[in-house]
Amino acid sequence: MTERGVRRLLRAGAGLAAMGSAGSAIAAPTIAGTVITNQAQATYTVNNIPATASSTVASFVVDRKVAFTTVSAQATTTKVSIGQANVVTTFTLTNITNGTQDFILEPEQLNLPTGVLIGTDNFNVDNIRVFVDSNNNQTYDIGVDTGVFIDELAPDTSVTVFIVGDVGSPANPEQAFVALHATVAAGGATGTPGAALNSTDLALLNREGVEDIVFADDDSDGLALGDLPRNGQGRAYAAYEIGTRAVALTIAKSARFVSDGVNLLTPARALPGAIVEYCLTVTNTTPLVPANSVALTDIVPANTTFVPGSILVGGLGTGDVCVGNGFPQNDDGSNTIGPYTGSYDAATRTVRAGIPAVILGIPLSASFRVTIN
Amino acid sequence: MYRPVITLSALSALVATTAAMAAAPLEISSRMLVEKRVAARDGTTRIDMVAAEKVVPGDRVTFVVAYRNTTRQPIADVVLANPVPRAVAYRGVGAGTPAPDVSVDGRTFAPMPALRVGTTGGGMRPATADDVVAVRWRLPAPVAAGASGQLAFQGVLR
Repeated sequence: MTERGVRRLLRAGAGLAAMGSAGSAIAAPTIAGTVITNQAQATYTVNNIPATASSTVASFVVDRKVAFTTVSAQATTTKVSIGQANVVTTFTLTNITNGTQDFILEPEQLNLPTGVLIGTDNFNVDNIRVFVDSNNNQTYDIGVDTGVFIDELAPDTSVTVFIVGDVGSPANPEQAFVALHATVAAGGATGTPGAALNSTDLALLNREGVEDIVFADDDSDGLALGDLPRNGQGRAYAAYEIGTRAVALTIAKSARFVSDGVNLLTPARALPGAIVEYCLTVTNTTPLVPANSVALTDIVPANTTFVPGSILVGGLGTGDVCVGNGFPQNDDGSNTIGPYTGSYDAATRTVRAGIPAVILGIPLSASFRVTIN
Repeated sequence: MYRPVITLSALSALVATTAAMAAAPLEISSRMLVEKRVAARDGTTRIDMVAAEKVVPGDRVTFVVAYRNTTRQPIADVVLANPVPRAVAYRGVGAGTPAPDVSVDGRTFAPMPALRVGTTGGGMRPATADDVVAVRWRLPAPVAAGASGQLAFQGVLR
Protein backbone atom coordinates (compact mmCIF):
# COMPACT_ATOMS: atom_id res chain seq x y z
CA MET A 1 0.00 0.00 0.00
CA THR A 2 1.28 3.46 -0.81
CA GLU A 3 2.00 5.92 1.91
CA ARG A 4 -0.89 8.05 0.65
CA GLY A 5 -3.23 5.10 0.76
CA VAL A 6 -2.27 4.36 4.35
CA ARG A 7 -2.93 7.95 5.32
CA ARG A 8 -6.33 7.79 3.68
CA LEU A 9 -7.18 4.62 5.50
CA LEU A 10 -6.12 6.11 8.83
CA ARG A 11 -8.23 9.16 8.23
CA ALA A 12 -11.16 6.97 7.32
CA GLY A 13 -10.70 4.98 10.53
CA ALA A 14 -10.80 8.14 12.61
CA GLY A 15 -13.96 9.15 10.79
CA LEU A 16 -15.62 5.85 11.61
CA ALA A 17 -14.78 6.19 15.30
CA ALA A 18 -16.21 9.69 15.35
CA MET A 19 -19.40 8.43 13.70
CA GLY A 20 -19.77 5.73 16.29
CA SER A 21 -19.57 8.14 19.19
CA ALA A 22 -21.96 10.59 17.57
CA GLY A 23 -24.53 7.88 17.02
CA SER A 24 -25.97 8.10 20.49
CA ALA A 25 -26.35 11.88 20.48
CA ILE A 26 -29.31 13.61 18.84
CA ALA A 27 -28.26 13.99 15.26
CA ALA A 28 -28.36 17.46 13.78
CA PRO A 29 -30.73 17.78 10.84
CA THR A 30 -29.28 17.48 7.38
CA ILE A 31 -28.36 20.97 6.23
CA ALA A 32 -30.43 22.39 3.39
CA GLY A 33 -28.69 22.21 0.04
CA THR A 34 -27.00 18.90 0.81
CA VAL A 35 -27.11 16.67 -2.26
CA ILE A 36 -28.26 13.14 -1.52
CA THR A 37 -27.22 10.65 -4.17
CA ASN A 38 -27.92 6.97 -4.46
CA GLN A 39 -26.40 4.32 -6.67
CA ALA A 40 -26.84 0.58 -6.38
CA GLN A 41 -24.27 -1.89 -7.56
CA ALA A 42 -24.55 -5.50 -8.55
CA THR A 43 -22.46 -8.55 -9.11
CA TYR A 44 -23.74 -11.49 -11.15
CA THR A 45 -22.70 -14.28 -13.44
CA VAL A 46 -23.61 -15.00 -17.02
CA ASN A 47 -22.64 -18.52 -18.06
CA ASN A 48 -20.51 -18.65 -14.90
CA ILE A 49 -18.56 -15.60 -15.99
CA PRO A 50 -18.66 -13.01 -13.19
CA ALA A 51 -19.53 -9.43 -14.01
CA THR A 52 -20.45 -6.25 -12.24
CA ALA A 53 -22.87 -3.46 -12.93
CA SER A 54 -23.93 -0.27 -11.32
CA SER A 55 -27.19 1.53 -11.50
CA THR A 56 -28.11 4.95 -12.66
CA VAL A 57 -27.43 7.64 -10.08
CA ALA A 58 -30.45 9.17 -8.40
CA SER A 59 -30.08 12.40 -6.48
CA PHE A 60 -32.02 15.15 -4.86
CA VAL A 61 -31.20 18.31 -2.96
CA VAL A 62 -32.29 18.55 0.66
CA ASP A 63 -34.78 21.36 0.91
CA ARG A 64 -34.90 24.08 3.52
CA LYS A 65 -37.44 23.28 6.21
CA VAL A 66 -37.94 26.67 7.80
CA ALA A 67 -39.01 26.47 11.41
CA PHE A 68 -38.37 28.64 14.43
CA THR A 69 -40.02 29.66 17.65
CA THR A 70 -40.51 33.14 19.04
CA VAL A 71 -41.46 33.29 22.72
CA SER A 72 -41.52 35.78 25.53
CA ALA A 73 -38.70 35.07 27.96
CA GLN A 74 -40.41 36.68 30.93
CA ALA A 75 -43.04 35.17 33.17
CA THR A 76 -44.55 38.48 34.26
CA THR A 77 -44.82 42.03 33.06
CA THR A 78 -41.89 44.41 33.18
CA LYS A 79 -42.56 46.86 36.01
CA VAL A 80 -41.86 50.43 34.99
CA SER A 81 -42.47 53.89 36.32
CA ILE A 82 -43.53 57.16 34.71
CA GLY A 83 -40.69 58.80 32.85
CA GLN A 84 -38.41 55.77 32.98
CA ALA A 85 -36.13 55.38 29.96
CA ASN A 86 -34.84 52.19 28.31
CA VAL A 87 -37.38 49.80 29.76
CA VAL A 88 -36.84 46.27 28.48
CA THR A 89 -38.96 43.27 27.57
CA THR A 90 -37.13 40.06 26.70
CA PHE A 91 -37.81 37.41 24.06
CA THR A 92 -36.13 34.24 22.86
CA LEU A 93 -35.95 33.16 19.24
CA THR A 94 -34.82 29.62 18.42
CA ASN A 95 -33.89 28.55 14.91
CA ILE A 96 -34.91 24.97 14.17
CA THR A 97 -34.45 25.29 10.43
CA ASN A 98 -31.99 22.86 8.82
CA GLY A 99 -29.83 25.80 7.88
CA THR A 100 -28.38 29.05 9.16
CA GLN A 101 -30.82 31.95 8.93
CA ASP A 102 -31.07 35.67 9.45
CA PHE A 103 -34.20 36.99 11.10
CA ILE A 104 -35.74 40.40 10.50
CA LEU A 105 -37.07 41.89 13.74
CA GLU A 106 -39.78 44.48 14.21
CA PRO A 107 -41.11 45.80 17.52
CA GLU A 108 -44.84 46.37 17.47
CA GLN A 109 -47.32 47.90 19.87
CA LEU A 110 -50.18 49.07 17.66
CA ASN A 111 -53.14 46.96 16.55
CA LEU A 112 -52.07 43.95 18.58
CA PRO A 113 -54.57 41.12 18.87
CA THR A 114 -56.59 41.12 22.03
CA GLY A 115 -56.88 38.03 24.16
CA VAL A 116 -53.23 37.03 24.10
CA LEU A 117 -52.18 38.93 27.20
CA ILE A 118 -54.20 39.61 30.31
CA GLY A 119 -54.85 43.16 31.43
CA THR A 120 -55.61 46.53 29.92
CA ASP A 121 -53.34 47.84 27.20
CA ASN A 122 -53.94 51.57 27.50
CA PHE A 123 -50.65 53.26 26.76
CA ASN A 124 -47.70 52.96 24.41
CA VAL A 125 -44.03 53.30 25.13
CA ASP A 126 -42.10 55.93 23.22
CA ASN A 127 -39.01 55.41 21.09
CA ILE A 128 -39.64 51.67 20.75
CA ARG A 129 -36.60 49.76 19.47
CA VAL A 130 -35.41 46.18 19.14
CA PHE A 131 -31.94 44.84 19.89
CA VAL A 132 -30.23 41.45 19.80
CA ASP A 133 -28.32 40.20 22.83
CA SER A 134 -24.78 40.33 21.46
CA ASN A 135 -22.93 38.87 24.44
CA ASN A 136 -25.45 36.17 25.34
CA ASN A 137 -25.98 37.36 28.92
CA GLN A 138 -29.77 37.70 28.58
CA THR A 139 -29.48 41.29 29.82
CA TYR A 140 -29.85 44.41 27.71
CA ASP A 141 -26.59 46.31 27.74
CA ILE A 142 -26.93 49.85 26.38
CA GLY A 143 -24.38 50.50 23.68
CA VAL A 144 -23.30 46.85 23.62
CA ASP A 145 -26.40 45.11 22.33
CA THR A 146 -26.82 47.18 19.18
CA GLY A 147 -27.73 44.67 16.47
CA VAL A 148 -31.22 45.21 15.10
CA PHE A 149 -31.55 41.92 13.21
CA ILE A 150 -30.50 38.36 14.00
CA ASP A 151 -27.43 37.55 11.98
CA GLU A 152 -26.48 34.01 10.95
CA LEU A 153 -28.31 31.99 13.60
CA ALA A 154 -27.16 28.38 13.31
CA PRO A 155 -29.60 25.46 13.43
CA ASP A 156 -30.82 24.48 16.89
CA THR A 157 -29.52 27.61 18.56
CA SER A 158 -31.32 30.39 20.39
CA VAL A 159 -30.75 34.08 20.81
CA THR A 160 -32.24 36.64 23.16
CA VAL A 161 -33.96 39.71 21.73
CA PHE A 162 -34.92 42.84 23.63
CA ILE A 163 -37.64 45.38 22.96
CA VAL A 164 -36.55 48.67 24.49
CA GLY A 165 -38.70 51.76 24.97
CA ASP A 166 -39.15 54.86 27.05
CA VAL A 167 -42.14 55.57 29.27
CA GLY A 168 -43.57 59.05 28.88
CA SER A 169 -46.33 60.57 30.96
CA PRO A 170 -49.50 58.86 29.80
CA ALA A 171 -52.77 59.51 31.61
CA ASN A 172 -53.94 56.74 33.97
CA PRO A 173 -51.56 54.17 32.51
CA GLU A 174 -51.89 50.49 33.32
CA GLN A 175 -50.06 48.36 30.78
CA ALA A 176 -48.38 48.71 27.40
CA PHE A 177 -48.46 45.51 25.35
CA VAL A 178 -45.67 45.01 22.84
CA ALA A 179 -44.96 42.29 20.30
CA LEU A 180 -41.78 41.02 18.73
CA HIS A 181 -42.44 40.26 15.08
CA ALA A 182 -39.78 38.02 13.54
CA THR A 183 -39.52 37.12 9.87
CA VAL A 184 -37.15 34.46 8.59
CA ALA A 185 -34.58 35.73 6.11
CA ALA A 186 -31.77 34.31 4.04
CA GLY A 187 -28.50 33.68 5.81
CA GLY A 188 -25.08 33.53 4.28
CA ALA A 189 -23.81 37.09 4.50
CA THR A 190 -22.39 37.93 7.93
CA GLY A 191 -23.22 41.45 9.05
CA THR A 192 -25.85 41.99 6.39
CA PRO A 193 -29.55 41.29 6.84
CA GLY A 194 -30.73 38.77 4.26
CA ALA A 195 -33.92 39.13 2.27
CA ALA A 196 -37.08 37.65 3.71
CA LEU A 197 -37.62 34.10 2.50
CA ASN A 198 -40.56 33.03 0.39
CA SER A 199 -41.75 29.46 0.30
CA THR A 200 -41.32 27.69 -3.01
CA ASP A 201 -44.47 27.19 -5.04
CA LEU A 202 -45.42 23.56 -4.61
CA ALA A 203 -46.79 23.40 -8.14
CA LEU A 204 -43.45 24.04 -9.78
CA LEU A 205 -42.03 21.09 -11.67
CA ASN A 206 -38.51 19.78 -11.99
CA ARG A 207 -37.39 20.90 -8.59
CA GLU A 208 -35.31 17.88 -7.58
CA GLY A 209 -32.04 19.56 -8.55
CA VAL A 210 -32.53 22.73 -6.55
CA GLU A 211 -33.18 23.64 -2.96
CA ASP A 212 -36.78 24.47 -2.16
CA ILE A 213 -37.95 26.48 0.80
CA VAL A 214 -40.65 24.85 2.85
CA PHE A 215 -42.22 26.80 5.70
CA ALA A 216 -42.85 24.56 8.69
CA ASP A 217 -43.05 27.17 11.45
CA ASP A 218 -45.89 26.98 13.92
CA ASP A 219 -48.59 29.44 14.94
CA SER A 220 -46.65 31.12 17.71
CA ASP A 221 -49.63 32.04 19.89
CA GLY A 222 -51.61 28.89 19.07
CA LEU A 223 -54.71 31.01 18.56
CA ALA A 224 -54.23 32.17 14.97
CA LEU A 225 -54.43 35.73 16.27
CA GLY A 226 -51.14 37.37 15.42
CA ASP A 227 -49.47 34.52 13.59
CA LEU A 228 -50.41 31.68 11.31
CA PRO A 229 -48.68 28.34 10.86
CA ARG A 230 -46.26 27.96 7.96
CA ASN A 231 -45.91 31.65 7.14
CA GLY A 232 -42.24 32.13 7.94
CA GLN A 233 -43.10 34.58 10.68
CA GLY A 234 -43.55 34.54 14.42
CA ARG A 235 -44.85 36.89 17.07
CA ALA A 236 -44.42 36.89 20.81
CA TYR A 237 -45.90 39.26 23.32
CA ALA A 238 -44.89 40.94 26.55
CA ALA A 239 -46.15 43.86 28.58
CA TYR A 240 -44.84 46.85 30.44
CA GLU A 241 -46.84 47.56 33.59
CA ILE A 242 -46.76 50.74 35.60
CA GLY A 243 -45.50 49.42 38.91
CA THR A 244 -44.70 52.70 40.61
CA ARG A 245 -47.63 55.05 40.27
CA ALA A 246 -47.88 58.68 41.18
CA VAL A 247 -50.19 59.20 44.13
CA ALA A 248 -52.00 62.45 44.75
CA LEU A 249 -50.91 62.97 48.34
CA THR A 250 -51.53 66.19 50.25
CA ILE A 251 -50.37 67.24 53.69
CA ALA A 252 -52.13 69.93 55.72
CA LYS A 253 -50.93 71.46 58.94
CA SER A 254 -53.14 73.16 61.50
CA ALA A 255 -52.56 74.55 64.96
CA ARG A 256 -54.93 74.53 67.90
CA PHE A 257 -54.53 76.27 71.22
CA VAL A 258 -55.22 73.73 73.85
CA SER A 259 -54.90 75.96 76.93
CA ASP A 260 -53.21 79.18 77.91
CA GLY A 261 -53.38 78.81 81.68
CA VAL A 262 -55.46 81.97 81.93
CA ASN A 263 -58.68 81.55 80.02
CA LEU A 264 -60.47 78.44 81.03
CA LEU A 265 -63.82 78.79 79.31
CA THR A 266 -63.06 81.12 76.44
CA PRO A 267 -60.81 80.03 73.60
CA ALA A 268 -57.17 79.86 74.57
CA ARG A 269 -54.90 82.70 73.49
CA ALA A 270 -51.32 82.72 72.29
CA LEU A 271 -49.87 83.67 75.61
CA PRO A 272 -46.50 82.62 76.94
CA GLY A 273 -46.94 79.21 78.55
CA ALA A 274 -49.88 78.34 76.34
CA ILE A 275 -50.01 74.83 74.90
CA VAL A 276 -50.40 74.54 71.13
CA GLU A 277 -51.22 71.28 69.33
CA TYR A 278 -49.91 71.01 65.77
CA CYS A 279 -51.80 68.61 63.55
CA LEU A 280 -50.43 67.17 60.29
CA THR A 281 -53.02 65.40 58.13
CA VAL A 282 -52.14 63.26 55.14
CA THR A 283 -54.77 62.76 52.43
CA ASN A 284 -54.59 60.46 49.41
CA THR A 285 -57.04 61.16 46.59
CA THR A 286 -55.87 58.39 44.21
CA PRO A 287 -58.34 55.50 43.92
CA LEU A 288 -57.07 51.99 44.53
CA VAL A 289 -53.45 52.96 45.03
CA PRO A 290 -52.26 53.34 48.63
CA ALA A 291 -49.47 55.72 49.54
CA ASN A 292 -47.05 53.51 51.40
CA SER A 293 -44.44 54.34 54.02
CA VAL A 294 -45.41 57.96 54.45
CA ALA A 295 -42.74 59.73 56.51
CA LEU A 296 -43.52 63.11 58.05
CA THR A 297 -41.02 65.50 59.57
CA ASP A 298 -41.68 68.83 61.22
CA ILE A 299 -39.41 71.28 63.00
CA VAL A 300 -40.65 72.59 66.31
CA PRO A 301 -41.05 76.38 65.82
CA ALA A 302 -38.66 78.80 67.44
CA ASN A 303 -39.69 80.23 70.79
CA THR A 304 -41.66 77.14 71.63
CA THR A 305 -40.78 74.04 73.58
CA PHE A 306 -41.75 70.50 72.63
CA VAL A 307 -44.05 68.85 75.14
CA PRO A 308 -42.46 65.46 75.91
CA GLY A 309 -44.63 62.46 75.19
CA SER A 310 -47.12 64.43 73.13
CA ILE A 311 -46.70 62.67 69.76
CA LEU A 312 -49.84 60.92 68.56
CA VAL A 313 -49.88 59.17 65.16
CA GLY A 314 -52.60 57.40 63.20
CA GLY A 315 -55.70 59.33 64.27
CA LEU A 316 -58.32 60.35 61.75
CA GLY A 317 -57.44 63.61 60.01
CA THR A 318 -60.81 64.57 58.60
CA GLY A 319 -61.08 68.14 57.36
CA ASP A 320 -57.42 68.80 57.96
CA VAL A 321 -57.85 68.72 61.72
CA CYS A 322 -57.03 65.93 64.10
CA VAL A 323 -60.10 63.94 64.99
CA GLY A 324 -59.54 61.34 67.62
CA ASN A 325 -56.27 60.72 69.27
CA GLY A 326 -54.25 58.20 67.31
CA PHE A 327 -51.58 56.09 68.94
CA PRO A 328 -49.12 57.63 71.40
CA GLN A 329 -45.48 57.31 70.43
CA ASN A 330 -42.44 57.43 72.69
CA ASP A 331 -40.12 60.36 72.08
CA ASP A 332 -37.13 58.03 71.71
CA GLY A 333 -38.75 56.29 68.74
CA SER A 334 -39.56 53.05 70.54
CA ASN A 335 -42.98 51.79 69.62
CA THR A 336 -45.62 51.05 72.19
CA ILE A 337 -48.69 50.07 70.25
CA GLY A 338 -50.04 50.23 66.71
CA PRO A 339 -48.40 50.14 63.27
CA TYR A 340 -47.22 53.75 63.42
CA THR A 341 -43.89 55.28 64.40
CA GLY A 342 -42.90 58.61 65.94
CA SER A 343 -39.94 60.29 67.61
CA TYR A 344 -38.55 63.65 68.71
CA ASP A 345 -34.96 64.66 68.11
CA ALA A 346 -34.13 67.33 70.68
CA ALA A 347 -30.86 68.32 69.00
CA THR A 348 -32.50 69.27 65.71
CA ARG A 349 -35.90 70.01 67.27
CA THR A 350 -37.42 67.62 64.72
CA VAL A 351 -40.57 65.63 65.14
CA ARG A 352 -40.83 62.53 62.97
CA ALA A 353 -43.88 60.36 62.29
CA GLY A 354 -44.32 57.31 60.09
CA ILE A 355 -47.58 56.00 58.62
CA PRO A 356 -47.47 52.63 56.81
CA ALA A 357 -50.25 53.32 54.32
CA VAL A 358 -52.74 56.01 53.44
CA ILE A 359 -55.68 55.08 51.23
CA LEU A 360 -58.43 57.03 49.51
CA GLY A 361 -61.07 58.36 51.91
CA ILE A 362 -59.19 57.78 55.16
CA PRO A 363 -56.85 60.70 55.86
CA LEU A 364 -54.58 60.04 58.81
CA SER A 365 -52.95 62.43 61.22
CA ALA A 366 -49.90 63.00 63.36
CA SER A 367 -49.92 65.54 66.13
CA PHE A 368 -47.61 66.93 68.78
CA ARG A 369 -47.76 69.73 71.31
CA VAL A 370 -45.54 72.64 72.18
CA THR A 371 -45.60 75.33 74.83
CA ILE A 372 -45.00 78.95 73.96
CA ASN A 373 -41.91 80.28 75.74
CA MET B 1 -17.25 6.64 5.91
CA TYR B 2 -14.22 4.88 4.51
CA ARG B 3 -16.14 2.35 2.51
CA PRO B 4 -18.53 4.63 0.55
CA VAL B 5 -15.62 6.84 -0.49
CA ILE B 6 -13.83 3.86 -2.01
CA THR B 7 -17.11 2.63 -3.42
CA LEU B 8 -17.75 5.90 -5.19
CA SER B 9 -14.34 6.01 -6.78
CA ALA B 10 -14.69 2.40 -7.79
CA LEU B 11 -18.14 3.11 -9.13
CA SER B 12 -17.02 5.99 -11.28
CA ALA B 13 -14.56 3.62 -12.84
CA LEU B 14 -17.37 1.13 -13.34
CA VAL B 15 -19.63 3.73 -14.89
CA ALA B 16 -16.89 4.55 -17.35
CA THR B 17 -16.48 0.90 -18.34
CA THR B 18 -20.21 0.25 -18.62
CA ALA B 19 -20.65 3.36 -20.72
CA ALA B 20 -17.93 2.10 -22.99
CA MET B 21 -19.74 -1.19 -23.43
CA ALA B 22 -22.74 -1.28 -25.75
CA ALA B 23 -25.41 -2.27 -23.21
CA ALA B 24 -25.16 -3.69 -19.72
CA PRO B 25 -26.51 -7.22 -19.53
CA LEU B 26 -28.10 -6.37 -16.21
CA GLU B 27 -29.61 -2.92 -16.40
CA ILE B 28 -30.09 -1.31 -13.00
CA SER B 29 -31.82 1.92 -12.20
CA SER B 30 -32.02 3.77 -8.93
CA ARG B 31 -34.84 6.06 -7.94
CA MET B 32 -35.71 7.92 -4.77
CA LEU B 33 -39.37 8.55 -4.05
CA VAL B 34 -41.31 10.39 -1.37
CA GLU B 35 -44.89 10.15 -0.26
CA LYS B 36 -47.17 12.92 -1.38
CA ARG B 37 -50.59 13.28 0.11
CA VAL B 38 -53.22 14.11 -2.46
CA ALA B 39 -56.69 15.14 -1.38
CA ALA B 40 -59.35 13.36 -3.36
CA ARG B 41 -62.76 14.80 -4.19
CA ASP B 42 -64.55 12.46 -1.83
CA GLY B 43 -62.62 13.86 1.12
CA THR B 44 -60.18 10.99 1.48
CA THR B 45 -56.46 11.38 1.18
CA ARG B 46 -54.51 9.34 -1.30
CA ILE B 47 -50.78 8.84 -0.90
CA ASP B 48 -48.87 8.99 -4.15
CA MET B 49 -45.23 8.10 -4.51
CA VAL B 50 -43.49 10.88 -6.40
CA ALA B 51 -39.88 11.60 -7.29
CA ALA B 52 -38.01 13.07 -4.33
CA GLU B 53 -38.00 16.73 -5.21
CA LYS B 54 -39.29 18.33 -2.04
CA VAL B 55 -37.55 16.60 0.83
CA VAL B 56 -36.87 18.08 4.26
CA PRO B 57 -35.42 16.46 7.39
CA GLY B 58 -37.85 13.97 8.84
CA ASP B 59 -39.35 12.98 5.52
CA ARG B 60 -39.50 9.30 4.58
CA VAL B 61 -37.68 8.46 1.37
CA THR B 62 -38.20 5.21 -0.54
CA PHE B 63 -35.21 3.90 -2.47
CA VAL B 64 -36.17 1.76 -5.44
CA VAL B 65 -33.62 -0.41 -7.20
CA ALA B 66 -35.01 -1.84 -10.43
CA TYR B 67 -33.16 -4.37 -12.54
CA ARG B 68 -33.75 -5.92 -15.95
CA ASN B 69 -32.02 -8.65 -17.85
CA THR B 70 -31.37 -7.22 -21.29
CA THR B 71 -29.75 -10.40 -22.62
CA ARG B 72 -31.15 -13.62 -24.08
CA GLN B 73 -29.71 -15.79 -21.35
CA PRO B 74 -30.36 -16.02 -17.65
CA ILE B 75 -28.25 -14.01 -15.22
CA ALA B 76 -27.38 -15.88 -12.05
CA ASP B 77 -25.88 -15.14 -8.66
CA VAL B 78 -27.18 -11.61 -8.69
CA VAL B 79 -26.15 -9.59 -5.65
CA LEU B 80 -27.48 -6.06 -5.42
CA ALA B 81 -25.93 -3.71 -2.90
CA ASN B 82 -26.99 -0.20 -2.06
CA PRO B 83 -25.16 2.09 0.33
CA VAL B 84 -27.52 4.06 2.53
CA PRO B 85 -26.68 7.75 2.14
CA ARG B 86 -25.15 9.13 5.30
CA ALA B 87 -27.92 11.70 5.74
CA VAL B 88 -30.54 8.96 5.65
CA ALA B 89 -31.51 6.67 8.52
CA TYR B 90 -32.50 3.19 7.32
CA ARG B 91 -36.06 2.26 8.26
CA GLY B 92 -36.65 -1.17 6.67
CA VAL B 93 -37.72 -2.61 3.36
CA GLY B 94 -40.58 -1.63 1.14
CA ALA B 95 -43.68 -3.76 0.59
CA GLY B 96 -42.94 -7.00 -1.24
CA THR B 97 -39.20 -6.73 -0.80
CA PRO B 98 -37.43 -9.49 1.12
CA ALA B 99 -35.40 -8.47 4.13
CA PRO B 100 -31.86 -7.67 3.01
CA ASP B 101 -28.61 -8.34 4.70
CA VAL B 102 -27.42 -5.11 6.21
CA SER B 103 -24.04 -3.74 7.14
CA VAL B 104 -23.01 -1.33 9.85
CA ASP B 105 -19.46 -0.90 8.58
CA GLY B 106 -19.81 -1.29 4.82
CA ARG B 107 -17.74 -4.48 4.83
CA THR B 108 -19.64 -7.28 6.53
CA PHE B 109 -23.24 -8.00 5.63
CA ALA B 110 -25.60 -10.07 7.77
CA PRO B 111 -29.21 -10.06 8.95
CA MET B 112 -29.76 -7.21 11.41
CA PRO B 113 -30.05 -9.36 14.58
CA ALA B 114 -26.60 -10.82 13.95
CA LEU B 115 -24.84 -7.45 13.97
CA ARG B 116 -23.22 -5.67 16.87
CA VAL B 117 -21.77 -2.18 17.08
CA GLY B 118 -19.24 -0.77 19.49
CA THR B 119 -20.35 1.68 22.12
CA THR B 120 -18.45 4.68 23.44
CA GLY B 121 -17.91 2.78 26.69
CA GLY B 122 -15.95 0.11 24.84
CA GLY B 123 -18.71 -2.51 24.93
CA MET B 124 -20.92 -3.89 22.20
CA ARG B 125 -24.64 -3.49 21.62
CA PRO B 126 -27.08 -4.92 19.08
CA ALA B 127 -27.26 -2.95 15.85
CA THR B 128 -30.33 -0.86 15.18
CA ALA B 129 -31.73 0.51 11.96
CA ASP B 130 -29.96 3.83 12.63
CA ASP B 131 -26.61 2.04 12.39
CA VAL B 132 -27.16 0.63 8.91
CA VAL B 133 -24.83 2.08 6.26
CA ALA B 134 -25.59 -0.35 3.44
CA VAL B 135 -28.10 -3.00 2.41
CA ARG B 136 -27.58 -6.01 0.15
CA TRP B 137 -29.84 -8.57 -1.49
CA ARG B 138 -28.79 -11.90 -2.91
CA LEU B 139 -31.41 -12.99 -5.43
CA PRO B 140 -32.31 -16.64 -4.77
CA ALA B 141 -33.03 -17.50 -8.39
CA PRO B 142 -31.46 -16.47 -11.70
CA VAL B 143 -33.07 -13.60 -13.56
CA ALA B 144 -34.54 -15.05 -16.72
CA ALA B 145 -33.89 -13.50 -20.11
CA GLY B 146 -35.85 -10.28 -20.45
CA ALA B 147 -37.16 -10.53 -16.89
CA SER B 148 -37.11 -7.64 -14.49
CA GLY B 149 -37.82 -6.88 -10.88
CA GLN B 150 -37.37 -4.28 -8.26
CA LEU B 151 -36.39 -3.99 -4.63
CA ALA B 152 -37.14 -1.16 -2.30
CA PHE B 153 -36.10 0.08 1.10
CA GLN B 154 -37.06 3.08 3.12
CA GLY B 155 -35.20 5.63 5.11
CA VAL B 156 -35.81 8.91 6.88
CA LEU B 157 -33.84 12.00 6.01
CA ARG B 158 -31.94 12.91 9.14
